[in-house]
Amino acid sequence: MDIVYSVLPPQFLSQVLVGLSRTTILFIVASGLSLILGVLRIPNVAHGSLYMIGAFVSYSIAKLFGGGPSSYWWALLITPFVIALISFVVERGVFQFLYEREHLMLLLLTFAFSLVFGDLVKLIWGVEYKSVPVPGAFQGFVPLFGGIPFPLYNLFLLCVGPVVALILWFIVNKTKIGKISRAAAVDREMVGAVGINVSWVFATVFVIGCLLAGLGGVLVAPTVSVTLGMDHTLIIEAFLIVIIGGLGNIWGALLGALIFGLSQSLGILLWPKFGIVIPYLAVVVVLLIKPTGLLKSTW
Amino acid sequence: MCIQRLFALFLCFVATFIFVLPSYGASKIKIGIVDTYTGPATSYTQDVLDGFKLAIDKVNAQGGVLKRKIEYTTRDEKFKPDIGLAMAKELVMKEKVDVLMGTINSGTALAVSDLAKKEKIPFFVTYAKSEKIIGEKGHKYVFNMNENTEMAGRAAAYVLSKKPYIKYWICGDDYEYGHAIAEATWKNLQRLNPKVQKIGESWWKVGEADFAPYITQIMGANPDFIIVATGGAGMVNFQKAAKATGLNTKIPFYQHTANELGTLLPQGKDAPEGVYGTSHYLFYFPDTPANKAFSDEFMKTYKRYPKASALVGYMTGRFIAEGFKKAGKVNADALIKALEGMTLDSPIGPLSIRACDHQLELPTYFGVTKKDPKYDFLVSGDNIVVSPKDFMPTCEEVLKLRKN
Repeated sequence: MDIVYSVLPPQFLSQVLVGLSRTTILFIVASGLSLILGVLRIPNVAHGSLYMIGAFVSYSIAKLFGGGPSSYWWALLITPFVIALISFVVERGVFQFLYEREHLMLLLLTFAFSLVFGDLVKLIWGVEYKSVPVPGAFQGFVPLFGGIPFPLYNLFLLCVGPVVALILWFIVNKTKIGKISRAAAVDREMVGAVGINVSWVFATVFVIGCLLAGLGGVLVAPTVSVTLGMDHTLIIEAFLIVIIGGLGNIWGALLGALIFGLSQSLGILLWPKFGIVIPYLAVVVVLLIKPTGLLKSTW
Repeated sequence: MCIQRLFALFLCFVATFIFVLPSYGASKIKIGIVDTYTGPATSYTQDVLDGFKLAIDKVNAQGGVLKRKIEYTTRDEKFKPDIGLAMAKELVMKEKVDVLMGTINSGTALAVSDLAKKEKIPFFVTYAKSEKIIGEKGHKYVFNMNENTEMAGRAAAYVLSKKPYIKYWICGDDYEYGHAIAEATWKNLQRLNPKVQKIGESWWKVGEADFAPYITQIMGANPDFIIVATGGAGMVNFQKAAKATGLNTKIPFYQHTANELGTLLPQGKDAPEGVYGTSHYLFYFPDTPANKAFSDEFMKTYKRYPKASALVGYMTGRFIAEGFKKAGKVNADALIKALEGMTLDSPIGPLSIRACDHQLELPTYFGVTKKDPKYDFLVSGDNIVVSPKDFMPTCEEVLKLRKN
């Protein structure tokens, strides 16, 4: 290991790992946003709200199952489906009638939804900060590279990220609904013309996208305080990631999340006082080089 | 024709309201509250309001003050100074309030304070912590009812300067409160213990969710002590990350309000132990009958323990009521004169409003987080009471700021 450390200091390696675990959350949320943006053409500002609701629901479910260290697993299992249900109702109730509208109109509408969701959360869960316990097996930390402690839960996140990416890859490339949705992203009229019920395809994609937001919320919950307003910061980052990755491209979201997550953690290492600007600087650089985003946009 | 007539009718209607409302309000003392009731800040502002209600309801139950009931109305400024200022204006112009109070947002507090000065209406700042409020922007009509960043920093520095740590790391939320609290702590620590050195700084955006990258970096730099200048939800976020990375067992760190209920309650038993913090109110300390009576009453009324902000709201209500009683009339200047130097009993002992700068003289409790079998959340242990005379900036220091 000493040979490795002489080239890559342990601090650097540990920052990379931390950055990658942040990338996981960013990727999961941003890929859902990108999916909806690509197929349905909805710039869903309320996506962040679903992430927030996901975190709050996981708090409630964990509490329902006793609030102990193992209760989190139930939350992880159930919450995404609760979010899927909410998004299904919203899609069938409102969005399905609005696909033909202008983007600006949809932007305003989803913004309105984010406000409504914000107030609903306040009504249901109140104003107190909530905390979801870290699952028992992943409490604490392990000394990694050169003895620098690394949180076990972040290691868990590092495993979840690739799994979600694989499942998404499978759905998009290997299933019928994935293929249809990719076709619908390119030309929705044509897909309708060959006799496919586009409306239901859209509903499915919307629900999958929102489910990802909810999943992101559950996964982040044990590491943060679950609070009103946690949607705002995230939605901005998610949009930036989607933009630098290429609108509507899931792999763009992965690339964008990697750039964002790693530039953040390494920025902190190199320049702790102003590390905060590095990810945004990275976004600016990417957009200067390639204004359409790194990968092919579906727009 | 018809539309014009309707419009005229509408105008009459509006005019009636404008003329009728003030006369209706005359037999009451009206207090206008502008505060943030949306977003994470609500966790604190709700306690200000509930504490205030507790005090006012008691006064009204006894027939009010000067034979008038005290009435209050709230406005949600949504943490935005421009909205807050517009609402304060509306409260002054339309609702004709006698007193303004509120806000957790320093920006709003400063804007409303400016309005209060122009309109000559007393303004009680409840939870904004900028030292400018009574410092360089201070004036006759503004009162600060909670500690400000300078006070918190001085109190923390007072205790930290006696500890053996030399190499400090400073980090925090990259906005005014974060920088102000870090600056106040560090400046005063250097003054009291010239041996200390700063080995680095890191600043993150407000609302940062993931502190792991910051903490692993700081642990690598290996300082003796860390001053963490976070506020609001960042308090809990940082503590959770500190627990997950084991920071609290490796490097001691201090956060203003780390030992406060608002930070510790949401984390339950999972909060990190051994974190240093300062607070101006703890419902279980000092363990006096007065404090117990207040926290029991708050618990009975609202079914939860009072946070530090509850005391602020409660005492603001009491000072306003007692101030009017002493003044003998509902008049801004008479109220201000009555309040200057006034001392009232509080759950944590007698508290006074300093005459020179209108700052409430609050003690600070410096403690360390630890488990307590009595509660299912961590509490502040080994509490050191820092009395106001040991850390408050002197009148001369504050008034000098106002001149520049």
